[in-house]
Amino acid sequence: HREKQQQHALPSSLVKKVFAHYVRMAVSKDAFRVVEKSVHLYFKHLFNDLEAYASHAGRKTVEPTDLELLMRRQALVTDKMPLCVLIEHHLPLEYRKLLIPVAQSGNKVVPHK
Amino acid sequence: MKRTAPRTTLRRLMKQEKPHLRMAANTDLLVHLNVLLFLRRLAEETRAKAFEDKSKIIKPQHAVAAAKVIKLKSRGSCRGRCASKR
Repeated sequence: HREKQQQHALPSSLVKKVFAHYVRMAVSKDAFRVVEKSVHLYFKHLFNDLEAYASHAGRKTVEPTDLELLMRRQALVTDKMPLCVLIEHHLPLEYRKLLIPVAQSGNKVVPHK
Repeated sequence: MKRTAPRTTLRRLMKQEKPHLRMAANTDLLVHLNVLLFLRRLAEETRAKAFEDKSKIIKPQHAVAAAKVIKLKSRGSCRGRCASKR
């Protein structure tokens, strides 16, 4: 049974660490199990949505824009909270360098496609 | 908190669920970001539920109640949105 869970989810130690970091409270063991279960469900929905977005655009590749659209629909990215800012807040520098090679905030020079 | 993203794991998960889909370069990092934000939302909601309960620790029922709320919020498809409007 354990292997089945492993196949479909992130390592539980990682989920535990991240959740504990954000929750800043003692968490019971059973509560962690609930969290892991909801992460599992979350991934299922996530991949279905990404597939829908990509096929809607006539692509077979999931692109960064699909993720941005997803986060917009989740109300994580809004007009007041652009994706760049979320990346800057939550991802370490080496990943930020990959995602934002050139500063984009307040940059009006980027041409509209 | 460890900050490195489980990049290969994310790609592998994607491959397992959707074998016919490909992932453009560095898109897995954005998926990781989304996971982080999902867990943050879930954590904040769980915390709030525990406070409501005047509980010092997070119990399963808090996580369950929070998961219900956050599940609707993190839907990327229409169903969640329509259900929350109703």
